[in-house]
Amino acid sequence: MIARAQSATLVGVEGRCVTVEVHVSGGLPGFTIVGLPDAACRESRDRVRAAMLSSSFSWPQHRVTVNLAPTGVRKTGAGLDLPIAVGVLVAMGELEQESINDCAFVGELGLDGSLRPVPGVLPLVDALTAETVIVPLGSVVEAKLLERHHVLGARSLRELVEAMCGRAAWPQAVPPGAESDERPDLADMADVDGQQVGRRALEIAAAGGHHLLLSGPPGSGKTMLASRLPGILPSLSTPEALEVSRVHSAAGLPLPSGSLIRRPPYRAPHHSASAASLVGGGSASMRPGEISLATNGVLFLDELGEFPAMVLDALRQPLEEGIVRVSRARGTVVFPARFQLVAAMNPCPCGEGGPGGQCRCGDASRERYARRLSGPLLDRFDLRIFVARPTAAELFRRERSESSSSVAERVALARRTAHLRGVRCNAELPTSALDELVPISGTIRRILERRLRAGTLSARGLDRLRRVALTIADLDPSAAGVAPEHVTTALELRVGRDSLTGRRIA
Amino acid sequence: MSGGRVEAVASAMASLPAMTPQRLHKLAESTRRSTADSAEIDRPVPPAEWEQLWELLLRGESMGVRLARVALGEQGSGRASDAARSLARRWSAGARELEAHLAEGPVPGPPVLVRGLPGYPVALLGDQEAPEVLFSAGTVFDPGPHAVAVIGTRAATYYGTEVAAEIGAELARSGVTVVSGLASGIDAAAHEGALTCFDSSAGAPVASGCGRPIGILGAGVDVVYPRSTARLRTRVESAGMVLSEAPAGSAADGWRFPLRNRIIAGLVSLVVVVESHKSGGSLHTVEAALRRQKVVMAVPGSIRSPASAGTNMLLSNGAHPVTDPTDVLVALELLGVPVLAGARRRRGDGDGDGDGAPGPAAECEEAAATNLDAGDQVILKALDLTPTPTTAILSRTGRSLESVSMALERLAEAGLVRDLGGAWARLAPPSRSAAR
Repeated sequence: MIARAQSATLVGVEGRCVTVEVHVSGGLPGFTIVGLPDAACRESRDRVRAAMLSSSFSWPQHRVTVNLAPTGVRKTGAGLDLPIAVGVLVAMGELEQESINDCAFVGELGLDGSLRPVPGVLPLVDALTAETVIVPLGSVVEAKLLERHHVLGARSLRELVEAMCGRAAWPQAVPPGAESDERPDLADMADVDGQQVGRRALEIAAAGGHHLLLSGPPGSGKTMLASRLPGILPSLSTPEALEVSRVHSAAGLPLPSGSLIRRPPYRAPHHSASAASLVGGGSASMRPGEISLATNGVLFLDELGEFPAMVLDALRQPLEEGIVRVSRARGTVVFPARFQLVAAMNPCPCGEGGPGGQCRCGDASRERYARRLSGPLLDRFDLRIFVARPTAAELFRRERSESSSSVAERVALARRTAHLRGVRCNAELPTSALDELVPISGTIRRILERRLRAGTLSARGLDRLRRVALTIADLDPSAAGVAPEHVTTALELRVGRDSLTGRRIA
Repeated sequence: MSGGRVEAVASAMASLPAMTPQRLHKLAESTRRSTADSAEIDRPVPPAEWEQLWELLLRGESMGVRLARVALGEQGSGRASDAARSLARRWSAGARELEAHLAEGPVPGPPVLVRGLPGYPVALLGDQEAPEVLFSAGTVFDPGPHAVAVIGTRAATYYGTEVAAEIGAELARSGVTVVSGLASGIDAAAHEGALTCFDSSAGAPVASGCGRPIGILGAGVDVVYPRSTARLRTRVESAGMVLSEAPAGSAADGWRFPLRNRIIAGLVSLVVVVESHKSGGSLHTVEAALRRQKVVMAVPGSIRSPASAGTNMLLSNGAHPVTDPTDVLVALELLGVPVLAGARRRRGDGDGDGDGAPGPAAECEEAAATNLDAGDQVILKALDLTPTPTTAILSRTGRSLESVSMALERLAEAGLVRDLGGAWARLAPPSRSAAR
């Protein structure tokens, strides 16, 4: 007798429909799973059998063959435990095939027959076409976020069978607590004293989605500034929130109770991170990396100079394309990777370099340090500033600095202006749109020509500079278009390599 | 090596394994004492003695042991120490090997300067600790009586490198040879400045009468150390020369650098320290210069700058301050020579408009001359000659980034300030009196 149950498996951060076919026939008693299961999936044989026996179902004294179709896709994880068990139950006549035709199942089984949540419920359920989806009770809230399926949940296999047969009611999922506040207690800009240039750069970075590089001596407040960025970014739109939630769910990270991730994620991996942990991949299963977890949000790399050069250069392609293609012998997976890069670094090993600094590093060690920041990577930072230590007068000022909420209002306004141009933020504007939005004429032309002649600005840098100037103009309520002072401001926030890496100016 | 047999033998002696400048000096001294009158103890080694030393080494180990005992300073008639024996063994073996090459005739290459022979710098002849042999690269010339060492820390600040380059340029323009150690930092900046008087590719002087640079190395002349000075090194060689007492191929061993400093001190008539930390290598050169009764000058620096701690200490101990590159020329008593007329006139002018019109007034004049509006003047006043971060300009003036960046743009166009990347500094005004 053959039974079929619908389910799904994770390929990267996307779900893929899987049909579980169970065949029970004569022959020596045995239990095989075919159809490219991975280790965790193959082990479900033992879990399913034990769970069924613990739930006081009998185990067929026949030959049981489970096929996971399509057979070409590698099945990962324990989420297929439940559909396999249901298939066996149908094959044994405990359940009717008709009753599960419109249902799909996702869940892991414990040896005692209990149902356990699996990572990636959101993308898994997203891939399912069945009308009804049955998941472990703890995953019901997450599965319901998509609002496309009739979601049911059970605590154990026995409970599920009883409910399906109409002998008992489906248990109710615990309603999620009150929806969390829009802006949870994030670090506030009001705590940043002084740092006028740093604060401006942060606001412009948030408004235009520009990548930001902060260089400065230790203790000057680079990390403090960077941690304020999520607080002034606008909340995610529903498609963005769905994309972020899917990636986080697939990575097994907790979602906020009962809702999608509505705030831009902020990921700050330590500099010992490997290339695979940053861009995604892995040997057992393809896991999204930090850049995918930071998609539609901020990836903050503190101590940029300490990251291995290979890891940093792996970021270059995702920064351009907004996605990352991870290829392994087993296959290729595409992860979303549209993140905003914020990085902080010391100008040199001793940290005291930079204009007017008192660096005591040797030339060789400073050069070695500067080399870690490759030119192509530096090029991708639209905003690069030198963060000087605040003076005592700045630290002990009486009046508080402007708070995050009022900065966020201006940022949101600038983002809306960008939306009218058909992009999420100005950093994504195509070059073709720049000629109309940021014409180069008159004073602006003279200013830029001087830099181009001096060699402090390149052709690629020119386009990036124009985008930043446009963002600055968008933030200026009195501006009718891009004015010369917006261009000089953008230039001021684009410090050259020599200053950032503390090379002394001869 | 080009030159005669004596030069070849002397350089072979210097190139022996385990031969140090001190040991070479002791050997040369011993032959000098045996032939010279006691009154003429400073007389340079006569050529013949090098041949004699070489013959002794070649004759075998027993003779070599006698020389080794002299070099190690062993006294008395007792048995030779093990050190002397092993030294003699190494020397004899080395000498036999080198003699084979010497027999093949002179090897072409830059000349070797031997104390007492023509070509050796005159300034070093009377020096008690002068090197017996100097290897060269570039074109050998005698720096004459007006050579100045411009030295300082490797970890120089922006201020230090700029001043070093100004002094180097001023001296070279006035026909003074700039001597330095070809290290990074101040040494490199001083030579960069001196080389502004020379065509960068051909090494030919841009104007006649330029002072040619001399670099004194710690390592062999064919060893580039530090690597970052490689380009500067070739430019110094093509415009002037590079000298070292270390034989070709010698690595940049730490012990060679203090010895190198005594050559610098001996070669020049005046030492200028631009920047030095409290216990910097430059201070060793200063000590060596003071032992030789040479004039030491120092560039004053901020009392907060650790890179000026050593120089400021020198000043409080009585070194002459350098408040202007021309001060060095005054100390050399070179002012009055025609080439210096320009420099002197500049100083004269400064004194002229200094009567009753101090700094602020001069600043106003300067501003008026370039038609600055009041807003830009506020920004200009917030800046000085040291780099000021943009954030500090904002908090000093209370203006927005937009207006400050626009004003700085106008000031930069007028040539009054310079962009240092995230920081700004005033450009030294053309008239030095206005800066004072």
